[in-house]
Amino acid sequence: MYNRRLAGALVAALAFCGLVSPASAEALDTILGAGTIKIAVPQDFPPFGTVGPDLQPRGYDIDVARLIGDKLGVKVEIVPVTSANRIPYLQTNRVDLVISSLGRNAEREKVIDFSEAYAPFFNGVFGPADAAVNGPDDLAGKTVGVTRGAVEDLELTKIAPASATIRRYEDNNGTISAFLSGQVELVATGNVVAAAILERNPPKRPESKFLIKNSPCYVGLNKNEPKLLARVNAILAEAKSSGALNAIAKKWLGADLPKDL
Amino acid sequence: MIEFSTWDILRNLLLAARWTVLLSAVAFLGGGLAGLLVLVMRTARRPLPRRFALGFIELFQGTPLLMQLFLAFFALSLVGINMPPWLAAGLALVLWTAAFLAEIWRGCVEAIPRGQWEASASLGMGYLEQMRHVILPQALRIAVPPTVGFSVQVVKGTALTSIIGFVELSKAGTMITNATFQPFTVYALVALLYFVLCWPLSVASRFLERRLNAPHRHH
Amino acid sequence: MPGGMAMAYVFEFTWILQYAPVLLKGIAVTIALTAVGAGAGLALATLCAWIRTQGPRWLRVPVVAYVELIRNTPFLIQLFFIFFGLPSAGLRLGEMQAAMLAMVVNLGAYGAEIIRAGIEATPRGQVEAGLSLAMSRLQVFRHVVLGPAMRRIWPALSSQVVIVMLGSSVVSQIAAEDLTFAANFIQSRNFRSFEVYFVVILLYLALAVILRQALRLAGERLFSRGRAQ
Repeated sequence: MYNRRLAGALVAALAFCGLVSPASAEALDTILGAGTIKIAVPQDFPPFGTVGPDLQPRGYDIDVARLIGDKLGVKVEIVPVTSANRIPYLQTNRVDLVISSLGRNAEREKVIDFSEAYAPFFNGVFGPADAAVNGPDDLAGKTVGVTRGAVEDLELTKIAPASATIRRYEDNNGTISAFLSGQVELVATGNVVAAAILERNPPKRPESKFLIKNSPCYVGLNKNEPKLLARVNAILAEAKSSGALNAIAKKWLGADLPKDL
Repeated sequence: MIEFSTWDILRNLLLAARWTVLLSAVAFLGGGLAGLLVLVMRTARRPLPRRFALGFIELFQGTPLLMQLFLAFFALSLVGINMPPWLAAGLALVLWTAAFLAEIWRGCVEAIPRGQWEASASLGMGYLEQMRHVILPQALRIAVPPTVGFSVQVVKGTALTSIIGFVELSKAGTMITNATFQPFTVYALVALLYFVLCWPLSVASRFLERRLNAPHRHH
Repeated sequence: MPGGMAMAYVFEFTWILQYAPVLLKGIAVTIALTAVGAGAGLALATLCAWIRTQGPRWLRVPVVAYVELIRNTPFLIQLFFIFFGLPSAGLRLGEMQAAMLAMVVNLGAYGAEIIRAGIEATPRGQVEAGLSLAMSRLQVFRHVVLGPAMRRIWPALSSQVVIVMLGSSVVSQIAAEDLTFAANFIQSRNFRSFEVYFVVILLYLALAVILRQALRLAGERLFSRGRAQ
């Protein structure tokens, strides 16, 4: 009885999975043909992507998305995503590009392609002023909150001592709430993210403890899209030399782009 | 940087609650129709549709709704149809609702005494005729209270679509918590709004239970 | 899978071996949460059902309020309120404690209603017979009312435990490292979301089937002696 039910469920599950058969055409042609590019952006990651009281996305990543759309001469459809679903959005062709402060690693490069870097991202460990933490070794025995899958999660996992507890939250809302409510003593996040929180005068102040590293952000796109990749890289290169990207950096990060980006 | 007044909090939560209501309605109505189909297959005489319905119910009742949403949300658009997020979320909720309603209704159909089936069969009625004219009208009476009761689960189930990035009441709550640093107030308000949506349904379900089933009590 | 065609997406399952420890830990946490939630939750449910049917009157109002509040708000919001909201009221629970508390409170409310229905179906004559044997009300409740009531509603209670187990998948939202957390963790590392979710959904299905069987066997063991009524 139960075995038959289980078998039935398995068949149904496989049928469900069998629906999966992706469409394929050169993405750049599809975008230009439709006159619209769909770009995934963060909505809980100030100043890269956040929402105003009107719940509309705004931030560094959104400005870069609009810049790329302008240069392609197409309309931009902004699609707010979380760190958990941004890549599935891309893989299911729900978006054409992911501009969501994406970090790269070897495992990820097997699955999607990355553009040239478009933003600096200095991530570090932050905590209350009285926490005596000056480097990775001081994390021993401490609890650090981080957003699962974010650049700083990948870096922190590499450098944290074994006795440190890393708590990984679904999204930045969760990470920040966990810090502010005292559920974790420290957080690993971007310096600009911490600065944006400080600016809003929170009940607990995330002061900088130490910098993990500068790991820049990249635009993510599907594999085997050489034309789209080349165009995006060309647009980013031009934006860097024309100063357009620097203007975005000054607006949202309050600083010039680093020379080596 | 950005300031939220208390009115902003409540206004945004109420605006987002519209999506919770809409999504619940889509899931419940769609799930009801699909559930009826599953019910007919589940109680069919031939083994093939029965086995399919069993598998369908087992799959959707035996796995977390959150996982179904994750999988459906991303897998479905691979078919090539560009589905707006609310429709994808709605579809997953519809299938989940259908599985539960079909099981609830099966219980109601089975509560109808066997003699009714035999009597209607002796009148030369086919399976669908028996269902339509004899069984369902009676089963409906018993089915209304638990069905209304389950609608509460549907409303609460929509909260999970927040995790896949759909901005409804719960998601608005987490977003606003982060902008206001007031998790206690915001989540209490969110819970209150859900309660306002769900509690009347719960009360209605109990009221109907007393009204419709009172004549059956004495057996 | 229609193989060989020009597929933009190639399914790949080699990661399972690499991440097996993560998956196993996730399964262990999900089982632990369910065990605690079911054990303590059913105890709380029985207590609430007793208060609602025969307990002191002044306790009935708070119990009804608790049951209604929990049954009419989403588990996710209850969890967020406990984990993120309560610290500002001075009560800080870690993610596992918060997850367990949320599950106990949840099953307590649903179970209370189920058990109450079972108790109310007890024929009055049996209670009176018990009382006439000079048993105290509590003894009557324990020996005459609760046993047959539990036998009657055990299937409904079992379903509710399975529902709570599946519902526990949202505790990943507060960084409790259950099976869903494992899925999200793995897919955040290797971006193989479809394969990861597919495997994990099958693991949940297996857990649900096993749990249901275990509860059925437990029910037979616990309530089999002498079929009353």
